[in-house]
Amino acid sequence: MNVNAPVLLSPVHAALLARNPVWSEAGVTPPAVLGFDGNDAQRAAAVGIADLSHLPRAGAKGPGTADWLAAMGLPVPLQPNSWNQLPDGGLIARLGLTEFLVEGDASITDTLMQTDRAAGVYPVLRQDASFALCGARVNELLLQTCNVDFRTLDAEPSKLILTSMAGVGVTILYTRTFTHPCYRLWCDGTYGLYLWDTLVGIAEELGGGCIGLNALR
Amino acid sequence: MKIMICPVNGPRPVSEFFCWGEIRPMPDPDTCSDDEWADYVFNRNGAPGVKKEWWCHSASNTWFIVERDTEKDVVLRTYLYGEAA
Amino acid sequence: MKRLPPVAGEWIDRTREISFVFEGKSYRGHPGDSISSALLASGASMLGRSFKYHRPRSVLSMANHDINAMVQWAERPNVRADVTPLTDGMALTAVNTFGGLRADKASILGAFSRFLPVGFYYKSFYSKKLFPLWERMFRRLTGLGKVDFTAPHLCTAKCYGFCDVLVIGSGPSGLAAALAAADQGADVVVVDENARAGGSGGYARGADEVLAATHNDLLQRAESHSLVRIMTSTCAAGYYTDHWIPLVTADVMTKMRARSVIVASGAYEQPAVFRYNDLPGIMLASAAQRLIYRYAVSPMRRAVVLAANADGYRAALDLVAHGIEVAAVVDLRSVIGDGEAETAVIHQGIRIVLNACITEAVPASDGKGVAAAVVVPVTQPNEAIGLGREQIPCDGILMSVGWAPAGNLLYQAGTRMRYEKSLEQFVPDVLPAGVFACGRVNGVHSYAARLLDGQRAGSAAAAHAGFGIAMGVAVPNETECPTHSWPIIAHPKGKNFVDFDEDLQLKDFENAVQEGFDNIELMKRFSTVGMGPSQGKHSNMNALRILARLVGKEPQQVGTTTARPFFHPVPMSLLGGRGFTPERRTPLHSRHDALGAQWMPAGVWQRPEYYQVADKSRSDCIQGEVAAVRNGVGIIDVGTLGKLEVIGPQAAEFLERVYISRYANLKLGMTRYAVMCDETGVVIDDGVVGRLAEDHFYFTTTTSGAATIYRELSRLNTLWQLDCGIVNHTGAFAAVNLAGPRSREVLAGLTDADLSASAFPYLALREASVAGIPARLMRVGFVGEWGYEIHVPANQGAALWDALMQAGGGHGMRPFGVEAQRLLRLEKGHIIISQDTDGLTNPFDVGLDWALKMDKPFFVGQRSLRVIAQQPRKQKLVGFVLEPGYAGTVPLECHLVIHQGEMAGRVTSIAFSAAVGQTIGMAFVAPELAEVGNAISIRLSDGSQVPATVTRTPFFDPDNLKQKEAV
Repeated sequence: MNVNAPVLLSPVHAALLARNPVWSEAGVTPPAVLGFDGNDAQRAAAVGIADLSHLPRAGAKGPGTADWLAAMGLPVPLQPNSWNQLPDGGLIARLGLTEFLVEGDASITDTLMQTDRAAGVYPVLRQDASFALCGARVNELLLQTCNVDFRTLDAEPSKLILTSMAGVGVTILYTRTFTHPCYRLWCDGTYGLYLWDTLVGIAEELGGGCIGLNALR
Repeated sequence: MKIMICPVNGPRPVSEFFCWGEIRPMPDPDTCSDDEWADYVFNRNGAPGVKKEWWCHSASNTWFIVERDTEKDVVLRTYLYGEAA
Repeated sequence: MKRLPPVAGEWIDRTREISFVFEGKSYRGHPGDSISSALLASGASMLGRSFKYHRPRSVLSMANHDINAMVQWAERPNVRADVTPLTDGMALTAVNTFGGLRADKASILGAFSRFLPVGFYYKSFYSKKLFPLWERMFRRLTGLGKVDFTAPHLCTAKCYGFCDVLVIGSGPSGLAAALAAADQGADVVVVDENARAGGSGGYARGADEVLAATHNDLLQRAESHSLVRIMTSTCAAGYYTDHWIPLVTADVMTKMRARSVIVASGAYEQPAVFRYNDLPGIMLASAAQRLIYRYAVSPMRRAVVLAANADGYRAALDLVAHGIEVAAVVDLRSVIGDGEAETAVIHQGIRIVLNACITEAVPASDGKGVAAAVVVPVTQPNEAIGLGREQIPCDGILMSVGWAPAGNLLYQAGTRMRYEKSLEQFVPDVLPAGVFACGRVNGVHSYAARLLDGQRAGSAAAAHAGFGIAMGVAVPNETECPTHSWPIIAHPKGKNFVDFDEDLQLKDFENAVQEGFDNIELMKRFSTVGMGPSQGKHSNMNALRILARLVGKEPQQVGTTTARPFFHPVPMSLLGGRGFTPERRTPLHSRHDALGAQWMPAGVWQRPEYYQVADKSRSDCIQGEVAAVRNGVGIIDVGTLGKLEVIGPQAAEFLERVYISRYANLKLGMTRYAVMCDETGVVIDDGVVGRLAEDHFYFTTTTSGAATIYRELSRLNTLWQLDCGIVNHTGAFAAVNLAGPRSREVLAGLTDADLSASAFPYLALREASVAGIPARLMRVGFVGEWGYEIHVPANQGAALWDALMQAGGGHGMRPFGVEAQRLLRLEKGHIIISQDTDGLTNPFDVGLDWALKMDKPFFVGQRSLRVIAQQPRKQKLVGFVLEPGYAGTVPLECHLVIHQGEMAGRVTSIAFSAAVGQTIGMAFVAPELAEVGNAISIRLSDGSQVPATVTRTPFFDPDNLKQKEAV
């Protein structure tokens, strides 16, 4: 690895830094927060919020995108607003009719970003803030910030929801990828700090707060 | 709060939407008179009744058409542009 | 009054005692008591003073509308004592007294009541001159609790909620409905404003043990059903469109969205109107039953029950069962039913006086209680005959003469109500889709019928929500009329109160009608009936009956006043609970913080206004930043610009249609200024369009337009169906503008790209690596210096910034903020959309004619601009300078340009320019003033005028030499 490679930063880097996190091993880019203090697990049990913005992702939209992705061997979700697991643990999400988000191993996302676009394929640079929300009281957190009934995701786990959370447009789905089942959400990175602070503030009222990756997996 | 039905995202509270306004067919700019053009650009019909409007689901940037009875405050039909039948 | 021996099902916990203070005196009560019940149990009889005449008052309903028993609890005004749970250490005072409850000095007002007729205020205090005096007096005299301006701001949570069926009211019909709906598979929420569920099933017993057992079983089944959630101490405060109900508890508001709503809110028991019907000890029969069964408090020792329905007989039985003597049941009717309650009353030998009324209550010697009821035979309808007048000694009177539906939420939902003569009650006639009613609010009163009615509604509501099918349930009709049509007895000396909130007497209504206020809405506003804190819960129905009789109409014809949210007062702390104000921050936010950025909001964005340098003034900081850019190099975060891409074979066509200039002929690797108009030809946005490929453009919008322009362009693309797509990369790219004569030197150390003027000319666009980061670079000239806009993926923005700051360190580079940028571009005469333009500005007004390509086939606004082009200009944006050395007050943006005493324009931008050596600005002026060299006059806020001269722009570097390579 190039030692001069620039450090990629999460949109909520400043908020993470302020809480003295333990970072994933040095030299790994992008870095992720493994934990904050000894109480991550306790917070995760109530309401935990983990920053997953560091995960590699790629996006594209346009009428030709579904075929373009399928040609690359990706399991393209057939229904609007649904998602599929990737074999390596990542995911491919269909946002509305013709927009897609792929998150997972860098080998897949890099390939996507470097492949020439086809007709009707418009590449989308994904620089989201992305969080995982878990814990026994996570639904209270959602109900305080979101005017959508997430019970529908229990019935249809492959669905995802595009909605507004605390005034910010978000994509939300429910996943059991980690040991702790959790909601994953993505928003525009420039809203990341605001949403992180808002969610952590409410989570702390509910006996939870920010957690690192170790508490999630 | 009222519920609006996005053809892609389903029923959601209206706070998730942006209402652009009534669809008004544009007269041909090359052949219409100045008066016809001014009427198109400036005049809005506020009389209650059945309206066809542009709405956008903000979180997903989905534009669609709403047929709405503004007198009865009822949403009659929503569909994507071009799907009208 | 005192505490009864333990009563089955009582709410109080006798194992614990808690103490509290009321009006300076210590009392004790139990957890589970309400303030009123604890006071009554401790022997207090008077709980408050009335609003207008300061008459002694006490319990009326025990049902959340005892307006004359409201207390101040620390900073909380108007706490309703009848239902508010007692807590340890409460320190309470009665509201609305002068000198305390017992010896309220304002009670003297009662003696003047003759001179305070209805509408008194309107008629007496309209004099404009004296109004302030009266206003001060009335503000002191009226109003209830006191607002504490030092009360802490409580940030309460707001919550959304979802359920299939929402049941409002947990009485017999509500519980039956909940069970029926849940049995069909619906997720049911039941709300009840009381501390415990059960409603009237818990107290309207008639000492019937079988009924009590049946009800307990119902309650237990509902509480244990896995699909039923019961929320107590929760008020459904209103009905909003599409089944949206705010559920309010003491500390949180939940906005509940239901698929269907069942209103099982019951009915308000209505008082009878007779002289001195407001004395402490006179209460609704249901209030006495609540006191007994909820709080084990004896309401009185010897009662007279004024009845007009079976409920009164049940109440009499409840009294007797708990050791209270019932002196008589006085029945307004000539015939009574043969139900179990009536039979039991007869069987127990309780005296029944038929065809009689109470004309007045005899006050106790201290005026603060009842000594006797004056009972008189009546003719129909209720004219006291006078013969056979009898005084029955008692210390309390129960009123059981009828019910009014608690239909507030039904009305709000748009239900059409109908007056059902056989019930003497309004009942729902046509319900909106998804709204159901059952129980007393639906005109169903007997216990067994209410269970059936609940089942019917619950099943239908579940079916509406998509669960099961509505089952047909036959609900039997009532066997007797539960409500009397005229429970009102006139008295020549008055003091027969109709509205206890506002101290309105029967004669006040007669006077109002005489004055011509003979419509229900007019009467309400003139007399203020129903406008007090109880909002007419115990007064509207009687007022309606009185009006109907006075004008000779049926209640149906009179109609009801409009019911609006909120149904019950909602604390400001809940309404003002947590709100969300989204804020966007660029990826460089923390870098600016570290450099002492002073933040300013720019739409949803936060931007550095300037960077604070120790010991420097704001103005010096800004001028310092400007100087750095002009003389060396500066860097500004422009990540807030909208950053869009349009890709596809018809991408150029799309831009041709949305911008006023031409882009089809834009060369690869070049950029062009772009102005967007709306259909009326008004300038709405600007930016730069760059061509990355034949079918691929990258373009920027203003900071404030970032989101809305993308949205509108998406709509146009949906409408036009061109073969191209728009991508919003606003948040995905970090962007800076590196500007100044030394910007190229700074950049050169970080990139292998050829930065020579020939390889990378002014307005060119290049993709290159900067500090190892893939970047899009544009040579722009907004601030009038050699410079580069550098756009990189957001997660590498901070790394780019750090590299540039490090590289620029040796060149004296300074970060600059929005204020410095505003001044720099002003020196160049560059406009800022929405600062130097407004909602009526067209391209001609601001000298953008050069960008207009009217010969294009079409662009948004073109047709309007064709018309505008032929019209005379109304205004022109010009540059101006103040006199050199001007040292007076500098005009501000929006100060007016005055010509011959008339408004002739306004300043849009103004600042002192060190580079020019003068204060420079731009202003809209009338076209005849626009000539260069013209003298204009700008009026300051204090009215004085400052001379200025119209000047050619740009003020600085008019020949754009800064963008050319030095020779």
